[in-house]
Amino acid sequence: MDHVLQRILYVEDDEVFHEITRLALEEVGSYTLKICFSGQDALRSAPDFAPDLILLDARMPDMDGPATFKKLKEIPQLASVPILFMTANVLPREVEHFKKLGAADVIHKPFDPLTLAHTLENIWQKINGISVKTSLI
Amino acid sequence: MQNKTQHDAILGKLVSLRQGYAQKLSDKISEIDAAHERLLKGNWNQHQAAVLHGLLHKLAGAAGTFGFLEIGQSARNGEAVLKDFVDGITEPDSRQKELLAEHVARIKESYEQSSLDSTDLKIEVPAYHNITDGDTDVDNRLIFLLEDDVALANELVTYLAYYGYHTRHFECIGNFKQALEKVEPVAVISDIMLPDGNATEILENIQSDRAKPLPVIFITILEDMLTRLHAVRSGGVAYFRKPVDPTKVVDTLDSLVSRKDNEPNRVLIVEDSISLSDFYSFILKQAGMETLVVNDPMMVMQPLEEFRPDLILMDLYMPGCSGLDLAKIIRQQDTFHSIPIVYLSVETNTEIQMKAMRPGGDEFLTKPIKPGHLVSSVNSRVRRARILRSFMVRDSLTGLFNHTLTREYLYRELEQARRRNGLLSFAMIDIDNFKSVNDNYGHTVGDQVIRIVAKLINQRMRKTDIIGRYGGEEFAIIMPDTSAETATSILDELRHNFSQIPHQYGDIEFTVTISCGVAEFPACQSAATLSETADQALYEAKNRGRNQVVKAERNSDLLHQEQR
Repeated sequence: MDHVLQRILYVEDDEVFHEITRLALEEVGSYTLKICFSGQDALRSAPDFAPDLILLDARMPDMDGPATFKKLKEIPQLASVPILFMTANVLPREVEHFKKLGAADVIHKPFDPLTLAHTLENIWQKINGISVKTSLI
Repeated sequence: MQNKTQHDAILGKLVSLRQGYAQKLSDKISEIDAAHERLLKGNWNQHQAAVLHGLLHKLAGAAGTFGFLEIGQSARNGEAVLKDFVDGITEPDSRQKELLAEHVARIKESYEQSSLDSTDLKIEVPAYHNITDGDTDVDNRLIFLLEDDVALANELVTYLAYYGYHTRHFECIGNFKQALEKVEPVAVISDIMLPDGNATEILENIQSDRAKPLPVIFITILEDMLTRLHAVRSGGVAYFRKPVDPTKVVDTLDSLVSRKDNEPNRVLIVEDSISLSDFYSFILKQAGMETLVVNDPMMVMQPLEEFRPDLILMDLYMPGCSGLDLAKIIRQQDTFHSIPIVYLSVETNTEIQMKAMRPGGDEFLTKPIKPGHLVSSVNSRVRRARILRSFMVRDSLTGLFNHTLTREYLYRELEQARRRNGLLSFAMIDIDNFKSVNDNYGHTVGDQVIRIVAKLINQRMRKTDIIGRYGGEEFAIIMPDTSAETATSILDELRHNFSQIPHQYGDIEFTVTISCGVAEFPACQSAATLSETADQALYEAKNRGRNQVVKAERNSDLLHQEQR
């Protein structure tokens, strides 16, 4: 049974993004959002919050995105939760690097707060195999 | 998902968040300025370069999010200049140092400029997006073609025009990029090797700046895996090797612009509480769906037949008939065997939930339900159900409804027309001398002709018309609320257009024609009479020399028979 995207965990050290992402995901998107300030914070909160999807900033002090990614994936109940990196790095090789790590997708910064929810919804449906158009490739 | 007031409220918050960020921005830019100064004074010490690089990187990511696009871009440029130095790959030369200074200065300039404009906060306000999508003000038939082979381009432009696409042709990337800044096509058809560069590289850049990727169809002589990979990354939805079969290009375009996909989701809400059902209905309508509310579960069958929902949203506990029983009853009808049923209930007991799923529920949503959750759940269910249904009821060659289903629709539409005291036209179309097409050019070409007729009908008809492949080379069209006169003139235009399309068989070019017969309700009262009368009119069109549309006369013999 495929389920609906509802709970999103957002890991971001830069507070500047917190409110605007809250607006983009809670108000525009009607999702349940939890924000963590660091990788450590995410590791503590994620199991209880039980997110459907995790948004992970790639560049954070102490424990960076990829390190947090690996630790999160080691938590059994989170192993199958898709993780998306958010990054201001747009070079294809960097994006490729994240995908190789096992990221479900990469969201570029800057993002448009009015369409972020729409983007996530599309990615979510792609992850759950409801895309028709990709079959053309 | 939201109504206009909510949308405005969100924009209001966005503006105030932007103002908040603008205030912090001043500090951030001073910080960057200071870091830049230190870098210069410290004679380009690598550690200081890394600090500046980090600050620029953050600004590049954040500024654009708050609508300060120019500042973000300048920060991104500055960051790029520093990157190789910070990574220890190269030493900066004087040119790079100049560039960095320029970018930092540009950041300050753009900031000062934007604070001057602060009364007029230029936040891009897009037409409101929701999951069913609703970009307005776009020519949804505009295609950009990027191809340096002029002969091929002309051929494609002409061909696409037959199918109602407006194509703008560009021979080089430069012009294409310029035009893209002004108008938004629905899709791009692109060669890969162009005189001024590689299209995949340019498109990859263009796509990375967009919220919603522009679909690209690549046509190329290249076939290596790496090129294909680049094509996918740059927004490629299809990849055709030259020589290109233009019908495939049209197929792909149609699937991108498909009106079937844009058809609003139809949701039947069965819920005994009037206030709740109104609430669900409101939310779903805001997301662009069509809804019909039934408050008494015992009254569901007729609306179900008439409304033809894509999905049923159902309360689990209702007086008179529980959701479980109702699902069983609905599932017993062949037509509704595969319709998704989503239960809504306060029930949190998973055992009861599972029991509810057994007779044919697809999902269980627990009240109180969040609007966003409801909308996305309904959307994903409907999308899947439509794909499944399209496999079952559609003819595999043309994608049109099969014979049985077309007849079923005829009965249903006829009943609706009767109840509304409305009109309905029924048309039968047959390809002229189709046997000789098959005999002369083979079945592959024959199939191709059939597909082209189907596609053309599909494009010229309205959303509400029902189009079926009736038999080999025969098609049927049900046109609700349409008089035989109107139907005849629409079909005559279609007939003319089709007769102009050149078909290819090797070096031979030939044209094919169609004939058509039209009958009308209420002149014909039953589905059987309608189809017989239309068939007779078709026969008459063939007799009169083919390539024409014949409207059945009102007082045909058949009509008399029926009245007796």
